[in-house]
Amino acid sequence: MFEYSMIQPLFWMAIGLLTAVFFLGLRYWFQDLKIRMYWWKWLVVAIWLILLAVTLGGAFTLIGENEPKAGVRFLLFFGIIILLIGGGIWKIVARK
Amino acid sequence: MNRRKFLKYAGLASGSLAMAGVSAGSFMAGRSKDSYTGWGRTPYGKDQFFNRTPFLVEKPTYQIVGKPERITYVENIFRRNSEFFRLLMNRHPDGITWDKSQGIEGLPEPLKTYYTNHPSAFEEFFRMREKAREQRTNWPKYKDKYHLADAWSTAHSSFLGGPALFPAEPSGPPEEADFKGVNPNPLPLKSPEHGSKLIKKIAHSFGATLVGIARIKKEWVYQGSLRGVGRVDFEVPEHWKNAVVFAVPHEWESFYANPVYGTSYDAYSMLRFISGKLEVFIKEIGYSARSHVPPGQYDLIMPPLGIDAGLGELGRNGILITPELGGNTRLAAISTDMPLIADKPIDAGINKFCKKCKICADECPSGSISFDDAPKHVIRGFKRWKIDQDKCYTAWNSFATSHAKGCRICLAVCPYSRKNNWIHTLAREVDPRDPTGVTSKAMLEMQKNFFDYPGANEYLPPPDGNNKTFGKPPDWLLTEEWFDV
Ligand code: SF4
Ligand code: SF4
Repeated sequence: MFEYSMIQPLFWMAIGLLTAVFFLGLRYWFQDLKIRMYWWKWLVVAIWLILLAVTLGGAFTLIGENEPKAGVRFLLFFGIIILLIGGGIWKIVARK
Repeated sequence: MNRRKFLKYAGLASGSLAMAGVSAGSFMAGRSKDSYTGWGRTPYGKDQFFNRTPFLVEKPTYQIVGKPERITYVENIFRRNSEFFRLLMNRHPDGITWDKSQGIEGLPEPLKTYYTNHPSAFEEFFRMREKAREQRTNWPKYKDKYHLADAWSTAHSSFLGGPALFPAEPSGPPEEADFKGVNPNPLPLKSPEHGSKLIKKIAHSFGATLVGIARIKKEWVYQGSLRGVGRVDFEVPEHWKNAVVFAVPHEWESFYANPVYGTSYDAYSMLRFISGKLEVFIKEIGYSARSHVPPGQYDLIMPPLGIDAGLGELGRNGILITPELGGNTRLAAISTDMPLIADKPIDAGINKFCKKCKICADECPSGSISFDDAPKHVIRGFKRWKIDQDKCYTAWNSFATSHAKGCRICLAVCPYSRKNNWIHTLAREVDPRDPTGVTSKAMLEMQKNFFDYPGANEYLPPPDGNNKTFGKPPDWLLTEEWFDV
C-alpha cells in the first residue's frame, strides 16, 4: 500500500517543498514584524514545528489505527502542551 | 499583491498544508496493513526486526531460585483435562472408573497427586464443565451472529481432523521415530555457524516470522508422557540437542477482535506447515528432527525455549513476549541433533515493564493473571507470576463461541502487541535503551489513560458481560455485512 508505493517518496517530497515555502514566508513575516531572527531562534522555531508535527502525527496515527478516542486524548493532551510551549517560544522569539 | 506578500501568505498556507499532510500521512501509517506486525516481507528474513545485539545477555531474564524440575504432562491443562475426560467417559486405559463421590482420594495417578496438590483446580474442572454445558445451550442464540468467525476458525482448525495430520505424529521411541527418513548420505556441514544461518533462512522461507536456536535443557522436556511411546517416565533422548524455535503472529484484524472473532488455529495451522516442512528439510540434509507443534503435540515446553533462543522474555501473562510481535507470538519448535550455534537470550526490559504494567491482569475475564508486583511463586525451581490455568480454561468455555476456542485477551491487550508503524516502533526502540525508565513510565501512563479497555467481565456473554471484543472486528468477520441474519 502507501508505505511501499511510488506515492510515498513523492508525498514526502511535497511535504518538504511546502515546509520550505513555509519557512520562506515566515522569514518575511518576521522581517515585516521587525523581529530580528538569530540562528538559535530559527532552531527553536524548527524544534517547535517538529513537536507540533509529532503531536499531529501521533494523534492521526492512533485515529488511523481505529483508536479514535486515544487519538483525540493524545491530541488534546499534547496539543495543549505544545500550544503553551508555543506561546512561551513566541515571547522569546518576538523579543526585538 | 506583490511577490513578498504572496510569499508570506503562500508560506502560511504551505505550513498548514504540510501539517495536514503529516496528519494524513500518519493516518495512513496507522491504517496501513503493512503495519501489521509479522505480516510484512519476512520470508527473506528482512523486515521489521528488532536489533537484539545491544540487549544480548548471558543469563535469561527468568529467575532460577531452586533446582529446576521437569514438568509432568498433567501440569499441562489440556493433557490433564483430556485424561480426566477419558476417566469420566469410562475410557481409562486400565479400565479404572470413577465418579465425583469418590473425590480426589479415589482418582487414579497421576491425577490424584496433581489434584491433591491443587484442590482448587479440581473444583474449577467441574465449573468449567458447567460453563461449557451452559454455553452449548446458548450457542444457538449466537450462531448466526458469529457465523463467519466460526467458519473462519473451523477452516483454520481443519488440519486437526482426519488421518493426514501434518506433520505426522511420531510413532515409536524417539531414537527410531526422529530418524525416520533421515538421509543416510549427508554432505559434511561446513560448520555449526553455517548450520544455524541456513536453518534460519529456510525457516523464514517457509513462513516463520521469528526464528531462534536454543540448547534443549532437561527442564524444558515434559515428563511422564512421550509422544510415540505413551505414558512413561523417560530420560531426555541424547539426540535432542538443539531446538529450532520459530514464531508466527495471528492474523492481525481478528487478533484485535478477540475473544469471539479471534482464533488460535490460524497461527497454529501456519506453525504446523512450517514445522512439518522444516522437519522434512532437516531430515533431507541428514539430521534427526521432531516437530513440537500446537495445539498439543509437544514434548518440549515452548516459552522457555523461546526465551533461551533470544526471541523475547516471559510476560506476566505466562507467555513469550517478543519485541516485534509482543504477545501476538505463537511458537513451535523442532528438536534435532544438527550441530547449531545457540542464540543468546535478551534483556530488552520486557520483564521489568511487566512489573509495572498489569494491563493483562486487569483485563483478564477470569482473573487468572497475578497482580503481584514482582513474581513470587516458585514453580519447578523458577520464580514466576502465577497463572491460574484452570480458571482461564473456564473462561474459554464461557465465551459465546461454538466451543472452547480460546481467549487471547491477555495477548491482544499487551502494550507490546502494537502495530509496526512509526509511533509504536519509536516506543519499541527507545524504551529498552532508556536506563532511567522515564520512557516506559510515560508509555504506560499513555497506555492506561489514552486507550479504552472494555473491562474484564465485558468479554463474557450476558448476564456476566456483553460479548465485547478488545478491538473492532473486521468487516469480513461480521456475518451481518454479508448475510441476512
Ligand atoms: S487467555 Fe483470557 S482468561 Fe486466560 S489468562 Fe489470558 S486473558 Fe485470562
Ligand atoms: S499486558 Fe503488561 S503486564 Fe501483561 S504481559 Fe503485557 S506488558 Fe506484561
